[in-house]
Amino acid sequence: MSDQPQTGLEIRIRLPLDRFDLEVDFSSQTQVMGVFGSSGAGKTSLLETVAGLRRQAQGRIRLGAELWFDSSSGTFLRPEERHIGYVPQDGLLFPHRNVRRNLLSGAARARRNGGRLEDTFASVCRLLELEPLLQRPVTTLSGGERKRVALGRALCSGPRLLLMDEPLASLDLPLRRRVLPFLRRVRREFRTPTLLVSHDPAEIQALCDELIVLHEGHVIARGSPRQVLTDPKIFPLAEEAGFENLLPGVLISTQGATSQVRLGESESPLQLTAPKSTAQVGDDLMVGIPAHEIIIATDHPQGLSARNILPAKITSIEDLVGLRLVRAALGPDLPDLAIQVTSQAMSGLELRPGKPVHLIIKATGCSIYSGRGEQGQTPPSKAAG
Amino acid sequence: MDEGAWMALRLSLQVASLATLLVLLPGVPLAYFLARFEFRGKGLVSALVGLPLVLPPTAVGYLLLEAFSVHGILGKESLGFDPGILLTWRGAVLAAAVMSLPLVVRTARVTFEGVDPRLEMMARTLGHGRLATFASFTLPLSFKGLLAAAILGFTRAIGEFGATVTIAGNIPGRTQTLASAIFSAQQVGADREAYFLLAVSLAVGFTSILLSEHLSRKGLARASTSPSGAS
Repeated sequence: MSDQPQTGLEIRIRLPLDRFDLEVDFSSQTQVMGVFGSSGAGKTSLLETVAGLRRQAQGRIRLGAELWFDSSSGTFLRPEERHIGYVPQDGLLFPHRNVRRNLLSGAARARRNGGRLEDTFASVCRLLELEPLLQRPVTTLSGGERKRVALGRALCSGPRLLLMDEPLASLDLPLRRRVLPFLRRVRREFRTPTLLVSHDPAEIQALCDELIVLHEGHVIARGSPRQVLTDPKIFPLAEEAGFENLLPGVLISTQGATSQVRLGESESPLQLTAPKSTAQVGDDLMVGIPAHEIIIATDHPQGLSARNILPAKITSIEDLVGLRLVRAALGPDLPDLAIQVTSQAMSGLELRPGKPVHLIIKATGCSIYSGRGEQGQTPPSKAAG
Repeated sequence: MDEGAWMALRLSLQVASLATLLVLLPGVPLAYFLARFEFRGKGLVSALVGLPLVLPPTAVGYLLLEAFSVHGILGKESLGFDPGILLTWRGAVLAAAVMSLPLVVRTARVTFEGVDPRLEMMARTLGHGRLATFASFTLPLSFKGLLAAAILGFTRAIGEFGATVTIAGNIPGRTQTLASAIFSAQQVGADREAYFLLAVSLAVGFTSILLSEHLSRKGLARASTSPSGAS
C-alpha cells in the first residue's frame, strides 16, 4: 500500500527443518502478504522465525527501518521486542483469563506504543462481535469464537505486523464462510501489514494482495493471488485444497431459497443468483464458484434450468493434465474466473483468448461467504490517507 | 494436656512454615529451570536435589552437623561468626527444609511441565519479557500445583525427625517438635501424651495430603490448553 511506505517487510532466511531447508527470500510492500502451501511445506516454521520464536535461522528479517534479525551481525530482537500480533492456528488463548482479559493481554504494549487502546478495544469488539463473550471463560468458547478472540487479542496489542497462521483451518465449512468476512473487515479497518500463511485458496483470495507459494521449503511462485492460484503449475495444489473462484458482491434481494447478488462495485450491472444464506440485504459478501461448476457456451443458450448466464471474455487458455484451464474476464473491477474444462470438450468450441462467451453457472453451484449478524458497510478506516 | 505437648505442636508449625518458605524461594525457580531448559549437568542437579529423598534422614542430619560444626565449611571458623544452627530452632528449620526440598521441587517441576510452553511464547509475542511472562502467566497457570507442592513440603517438614534431632537435638521447649516429642513420650512410657501427639499428627498430615492431591489434580487440568487444543 502506497500510504504505508515504511512498512516494507523483508525476509531472507534459510532455516534447517527435519526433511529439508526452508529457503525464503522476498520483500513486500503490500498490506497482506500470503504464503500458500500444503501442510508440511514449512509455513508455520516461517511464521515462528519471523515472530522470533525460532533462533536457528541464517539470514535477515527487517520490517520497515527496523532490523529484527541478522545472522551476519548477530542481531536478534526477542519476540517481545518485535511488536507483532501473532495469531497461531490453535488460538493459544490463556486458559486462566476470561475473554476480556485475554483481549487485553497485550494492552500494556499497546499503551506504550501510544495507541488509543480504548478505541481499538471498542472497534475490535464491534468488528469481531465479541461484546457478548467478554465475561466468558475461554474454555467454554466454540472454535469460531476462539479464532475471533485470538485475532482480537493480537489487534489490541498494537502490532506493527500481524502474523496469521491458517486463520480458518480447523473450522468446518459453514463456519469458515462465516469467519472469513470478519477477517475482511479487520483487513479493511485496521490496515495492519500482515503475513498470512494458509493452505485455503478461499482465504488467500479474500485477504491477500500478493502471494508466494511454498513447496518443500522453496518459493515456487509469486504474484497476485488469482494469477498464482490459477497458474497451471499451482492450480492442481489449489484444486486439491478446494479452490473456488471468489467474487466480491452485495446482497440485493432474497426470494424463496435463492438470493440475488450484485457482483463487484456499485455500478456493476452483473448479477448472480445464489442459494439463500444468513446474510441480510445490503451486506457485503463473497460468492464462491468452483472452477468445475462453470460451463462455457459460445452462443447465448436457450431453455436452460441454470439460473446464471454471464457474458465474459476469454483471457487465457492453459493446459492442465488431461484438462484445460480457461480464464475469463467478467468486468474491469472483478478478478478473472478460472474454469476447468476437459480437453475433448474444448476441441469443438474453437476457444481462443479475446473470444466473447457465455458462462453458465447453476445457482446451487455457488456458495455465499457471509458473517452472521453482518453489520453492512463499516466506516472508512482511521488509518486511511 | 501438659504444656510440653502444646509447645511441641507450636514449634512444629513454626518450623514447618519457615522451612516451607525457605524451600520455595530456591525450589520454585529451580523446578522451572529443570522443567524448561536443557543444560549441562541437568541430570546431576536433579540427582542432588533428589538426594535427601533416598538418604537416611540421620545421614542428612549428620552431613549438616559436619558442615555447621565449629571447624566445618559453614562453621564459626570459616564464616567468622556463629551461624547459630546447632541445637537451635534454626537448625530444625534447616533440617526440615533440606528434607522437603526434593518433594517440593518434584511437584513444582511436574506442574511447570504441564504448562504449555507455547502459552509462554504467546505471552512474549504480546510484549511481555521473560520475567513478566513468568510472573503474569506461568505462575497463575501453575498456582494450584505450586500450592500443592508447598503443602506437601509443609507436611514433610512437620514429620521430619531424623535430620532434626541430629542437628537441633530434642530439647523440650526449645527444639522439641511433634515428631521428637512423640519419640520422647514413647521412650518414657507417657502413653496419654503420645496418643495425643499422634492424633494431632494424623489430623495435620491427613488434611494436608488430601488438600495437596485435590489441588494438584485441578492445577494440572487448569494449566493445560483448551479442549479444542492444538491440531
